[in-house]
Amino acid sequence: MKRFTNLLKKEIKELVTKQLIISLAFTVILFNFIGQVSKKEVRKAIGVQTISALDEDGSAASKALVQGLASARFKILDQSGKTKEQAIETAKAGESKLLLVIPKGFGDSLTELKPSEIETYSFMRSFSLIGTRGQIVVQSVISALNEALSNNFLKEKLPGIDPASLKKPIKSKDFVVVQDRMAEGSANMVAGLISQQSLLIPVVLMMIVIYSSQMVISAVAMEKQNKTLETLLTVPIKRTSIITAKMLAAGLVGLISAGVYMVGFKGFFGGIGDEAGLAGVQASGTAMMRQLGLYFNTSGYVILGLSIFLAILVALALAMILGVLAEDFRSAQTMIMPLMFMVMIPYFISLFADINTVSLPIKIFILAIPFSHPFLVSQNLYLGNYGMIAAGLAYMLIVFVILVVFAARIFSTDKILTMKLRFGKKKAAVA
Amino acid sequence: MPNVLTVRGLKKSYGSQMALAGIDFEVQAGEVFALIGPNGAGKTTTLRIVATLLTSSAGEITFLDRDLCKDPDFVREKISYLPEEAGAYKDMKGLDYLHFMANFYARTPEEEKEFVDRAVAITELGDRLRTKVGTYSKGMTRKLLLARALMTKPVLAILDEPTSGLDVLNALEVREIVRRYVKEGTSVLLSSHNMLEIEFLSDRVALIDKGRILDSGTPQELKDKHNAKNLEEVFRSSVR
Repeated sequence: MKRFTNLLKKEIKELVTKQLIISLAFTVILFNFIGQVSKKEVRKAIGVQTISALDEDGSAASKALVQGLASARFKILDQSGKTKEQAIETAKAGESKLLLVIPKGFGDSLTELKPSEIETYSFMRSFSLIGTRGQIVVQSVISALNEALSNNFLKEKLPGIDPASLKKPIKSKDFVVVQDRMAEGSANMVAGLISQQSLLIPVVLMMIVIYSSQMVISAVAMEKQNKTLETLLTVPIKRTSIITAKMLAAGLVGLISAGVYMVGFKGFFGGIGDEAGLAGVQASGTAMMRQLGLYFNTSGYVILGLSIFLAILVALALAMILGVLAEDFRSAQTMIMPLMFMVMIPYFISLFADINTVSLPIKIFILAIPFSHPFLVSQNLYLGNYGMIAAGLAYMLIVFVILVVFAARIFSTDKILTMKLRFGKKKAAVA
Repeated sequence: MPNVLTVRGLKKSYGSQMALAGIDFEVQAGEVFALIGPNGAGKTTTLRIVATLLTSSAGEITFLDRDLCKDPDFVREKISYLPEEAGAYKDMKGLDYLHFMANFYARTPEEEKEFVDRAVAITELGDRLRTKVGTYSKGMTRKLLLARALMTKPVLAILDEPTSGLDVLNALEVREIVRRYVKEGTSVLLSSHNMLEIEFLSDRVALIDKGRILDSGTPQELKDKHNAKNLEEVFRSSVR
């Protein structure tokens, strides 16, 4: 145990370099900074919008229109008494995102049921996605105007009838049924919320797998490049302990690195999401998901955690073998590619297709990739497919055991020194 | 003197390529036994097999009366191996490297300190041991590695080209260190293609070429037998 701890400490020290710490700290600080900046911008963009209004008509209809806007979360800066040019200049110099000009004859046209025209001038002060939200304001204003005017018209012409019933005579009340549970809501909303809930799994998995695998591959390749491997293999420590120490160190450091990056991402996305006014929608969505049983309880989280943990073990064992094949640190960078593809294939397929409904050959291909199973766990948990979950966990465990036995065999035989992959040449060559 | 290591009919092939065609030799307690021969003769393969890095294709190796192939863990406790192109962890300080390696062999902290103190004395690197190995010259690194190999006073030190790439003074120093440790009880199995160096350093030598041992004995015996002035001439005579 003392020897194993000695080696483990060395492996961890080798991985936790100043560069890694600086890079992690920089990422967290950077993402938090971007998150804070975005938060401020989003807050501005979704707050009360300021628009200027020049009412050249002065009719009851035009006044009602401006008042209607004021009650629809718009701060109105009245430009009455100015010419159009003056109003444009004033609005441009101020904070208005939009100038609304109601020309003379607006009220009369409405009375005569003729199409009425208003002019809008939107002031673009930035071209960022959030900055150009002024464009959306224009649409909101016009939509609010049309709504108010058509409602007023219908109320005038058909008193006693709710304008909304006239405009939308058919209303749908949506229900979603999942197995034996039912809740009010739309299927789109459920699918959206599930994909939102499951979004974190592939991101976490990809990050941990890539970081840890990269570290294991590099750890073995660096031993080869620095000519320290032969010495290490002749010291009195079991070969399986060498493999375990390298895998454990990479797993731990990879896990911590991925965790730190996730904190950074949370800071970034939190900055945008928190302010987007989605809290209400989220709360009602969560209630609906609970009603449908589409949420994780403790055992669900344990199963998901176990699945991710097994996927990481598989990745580490595979990385260990790939590390043996690498000749030096540079070729180790290339060795990570097959692993990345193996994680990305199920990720992208799960984004665009339902793995349960694809054709059989594709389904077999996807299920044969051990990293597909953590992607399927949440869906199978929701649908109660416990057999599929158990099979997935068992499959990953079997693959891990096979890979570890294979890695241990490589480390216990000549292959650790003689096996290497040369691209474009013979696959395994004797040194 | 009893044999520390006995090798009989040792063969090794990499696929169809025969590296060792059946060699026999033994290393006695407290002696320096050298394998000499040109590059590709099979010296490093032999040393790697004895160091438990490679497995043999055929033959028997007995180390301290135990079958080396069946009990590699026991062997690793008692030997130390210095590969020809060995390196140390570049981001470690010299002293940390010695502690790291000593930790594998020492049973107590006191023993670890004893090993490290011995290694520090061998290296003669002083305060440089507190700097990173990556900043060392080739000679300094080689001395550090030799110190690592000898600090535990192994039963058998396996040294592959111990003075490879070193200048005259550093090579001389390394040879003196090896001789000193043999006097303290360590047996040495080494390889070199520098036959003049071997003549100075070894008690007995074996001439190896194309995976076969051509002749063996003390340098003087071999020179007398082949009527040669030095081992280079002995080797030329043996090859013919």
